[in-house]
Amino acid sequence: MKWSGAGASERAVWGLCQGSGKQPYQTVVELAGPAFKCSCPSRKFPCKHALGLLFLWATGEVSSAEEPEWVSAWLTERSTRAERSAERAEKKPGEVADPLAAQQRASRRADRVSAGMAELQSWLDDQVRRGLSGFEQRGYSELSRLAARMVDAQAPGVAGAVRRAAGVVGRGHGWPGELLEELSLIHLVVSAHGRLGELPPSLADTVQSRIGWTVETARVLAEGEKVEDDWLVLGRVIEPDDRLTVRRLWLRGVTTGRLALILNFAPAGRQLDPLPARPGELVPGVLSFYPGALPMRALLTQTAPRLPSPRPGGLNAKQALASYVESLAADPWNERWPLVLAAVRPARNGENWALVDQAGDALEVLPGVDLWTFLAVSAGDPVTVAGEWNRAGFKPMTCWDGDRPVILS
Amino acid sequence: MRGWDGLVSSALLGTERRPPRFEELPEKIQEQLGEGGLLDAAALATLYKRAGRIPLEGFTPIEPAVGADRPLPRPAAIRRLAAMLTGFQTTALGEWLRAADERGWGVPPEHLPALAEYARNRAQYRPLVVAAAGRRASWLADLNPDWRFLHDAVVESNDPAIWTHGNALQRRSWLRSLRRRDPAAAVEALREVWPAESAATRLEFLGLLFDQLSPADEEFCEAALDDRAKEVRRAAATLLARIPGSQYGERMAQRVWSHLSVSQGVIAVTLPTRVDASMQRDGIDPQPHEGLGKRAWWFRQILAAAPLSASRPEQVTMPVEGCAPEVLQVAWAEAAVRERSADWARALLTTNARTDNRTAELLRILPPDEWISAIELLRARIDLADLVGGLPVPWPAPLATFVLDHLAKVGTARNWARLASIAARAVPADVLDHPISREPTGEEDTWRRRLVETLTFRREMYEELS
Repeated sequence: MKWSGAGASERAVWGLCQGSGKQPYQTVVELAGPAFKCSCPSRKFPCKHALGLLFLWATGEVSSAEEPEWVSAWLTERSTRAERSAERAEKKPGEVADPLAAQQRASRRADRVSAGMAELQSWLDDQVRRGLSGFEQRGYSELSRLAARMVDAQAPGVAGAVRRAAGVVGRGHGWPGELLEELSLIHLVVSAHGRLGELPPSLADTVQSRIGWTVETARVLAEGEKVEDDWLVLGRVIEPDDRLTVRRLWLRGVTTGRLALILNFAPAGRQLDPLPARPGELVPGVLSFYPGALPMRALLTQTAPRLPSPRPGGLNAKQALASYVESLAADPWNERWPLVLAAVRPARNGENWALVDQAGDALEVLPGVDLWTFLAVSAGDPVTVAGEWNRAGFKPMTCWDGDRPVILS
Repeated sequence: MRGWDGLVSSALLGTERRPPRFEELPEKIQEQLGEGGLLDAAALATLYKRAGRIPLEGFTPIEPAVGADRPLPRPAAIRRLAAMLTGFQTTALGEWLRAADERGWGVPPEHLPALAEYARNRAQYRPLVVAAAGRRASWLADLNPDWRFLHDAVVESNDPAIWTHGNALQRRSWLRSLRRRDPAAAVEALREVWPAESAATRLEFLGLLFDQLSPADEEFCEAALDDRAKEVRRAAATLLARIPGSQYGERMAQRVWSHLSVSQGVIAVTLPTRVDASMQRDGIDPQPHEGLGKRAWWFRQILAAAPLSASRPEQVTMPVEGCAPEVLQVAWAEAAVRERSADWARALLTTNARTDNRTAELLRILPPDEWISAIELLRARIDLADLVGGLPVPWPAPLATFVLDHLAKVGTARNWARLASIAARAVPADVLDHPISREPTGEEDTWRRRLVETLTFRREMYEELS
């Protein structure tokens, strides 16, 4: 190996090695680690250049010299990185390393969000003034662009709502009405954000979370509302996505009757956290709720092993819809709601299905749901079923064959 | 909702051109709205609509399935069923269903969709799935056209319009089920359409007559010997050879006797010199056959098609003049398989007679308690896996023990893999505990390990269902 510009300092040895290419490889070894860096394309680590250089140095063939710029830059970068990770390791969860810096970051973000909300509001006002006609052509791309702007403004919650609105454009006969619904609820978030100070604190929290502010786990565990109970696992819904898999696990307290949601995320192709219990089982434990006017999302601290449970009690169709309306009164943006329906029987609903209660009232099953397992369990008899309700219909998660829970999704 | 459509058209045209008329909205919304604009009104109206949603009415639930469910086996058995349905040891699924059915167990209803899907393309599983589904079978069949087979097979339509107007598959299944119910009516139906059908269809329908074959079918088959198509004539001859006491059999026996005689313990054969028209009509193929003289080939066909009663089993060991003894042996083997004659099977198998590819079938015809002694004898010439591979499962316990004892001794040589995989499925429930299943198998993926895994899997399966 031909070396040029080789030198050594107290902390490193370096040199330029002429390989087969035009540019010589830059090789540097930090002696304390030791750590290696070389600009050669070798996948071996350390590469032969670094080893050769060390060999020369060990046999005393490299003389002391001033560190050139590219060597000292790398060494400095390494030491700051090491400091930072040491800091992270020392920091206790939930504790803010530098309160002042954190506050500055938060206020910078708040400024960005405010600017984003102002931009969104004026865009919305503009559209309404000039009219949504022609949206079939330009709507999707404009809304997508706007969603990207909201991501830049660090308002991912609003970005998601705008993307949903983009999905409505041109879909089906009634899309203008659907789009107006979506846009009006976005407008509602934006104007609520404008008078955050006047809102009751819990509603302000709800608005913040709809905009996309997340509360740190440690803070929820430390300050969130605590409810202890035996939690019945009503079921789970998994939504695979290109990038992120979302799992919603719905719980209901046996004595308190409180409903709760545990969210889990995993990058596509990666495993989700194991379930605390199977649907239909009980988990004794304490839930710490995220703040908000409709506290649903929670973190679970399990206190005892899971237990079997008999078939839970449920609602009829009218009561079920009423419970969803109640949730809307607290959080007008609420999209999904867990329901336990008692004694419902399947009926055909065109190409889809409906569930009919004892009084003859029916809820539609979400179109496209594979209902065959439920149908086989029911065989026409009344069944208790837990599921997730949204405006498009009911998605069954768990049903009970007698007292035996059967997982449907 | 009152006023909503007005809001939508204002939004579409723009408030500049079409100012919203809030006074059309419900009063409650107007009260809340105050100084708000179109989007505020729309937000209020949206929530007003969503909150006002009421349940659907006028739906009639599907009538429940009548009857009672069977009790379920214990959870371990159900977990095993679920594992098989997700692809683990799925070949044992039929055995599980049969064992559960015999013991009076049902299947948890949530597994019925997967079972129905499994049986959809595997007709042999259908009766098992129908039994497992119990009262839910025909209820589900009514809802899902893909699972129509879950209706009990008896309910198959006997609408004669299917026979005259249905497609090939429907007609075939119509004829098959009629043949089972009323064999003579099936032949009558066939006779009506016969001249108009294509040769391929005639051949296919004729094949259905093997079921419930009796002397009543002789006339029809005899007529088919004059069919236009050679394959149909050949199939008719095969059918006739199976009808006891048929004219065809009589003709073949006459031909045998005119070429073969027995005196002083020796068989004398005079090979035929030509194939006449009547022989050709009865299906004798005049074209030469590979590896055999032309005349010997003609005689072999005659002897094979003749009733066994034209000869006697003792003749298998007699010296033969006029042709090679193997010509006779192969012909008798073919006839013995057709007539399912245990006496002839025994005579052929215990004398080292040449039986070619009929050996496993002959073994099957022997009474099961003679299998081991016959196998001991034949093993010197024929691979063990070939011999036992054709036997019905589950095997009798002594045979299963015999094969497993043997496998226990042979180490891990690759050439035993096929026998091991046959045995793994064929061993009956009461031999699953054989000592080989308790032997350590090592970490390597050998046939021995797979054999032990399957035996253990099946043993546990029966324990759970007991």
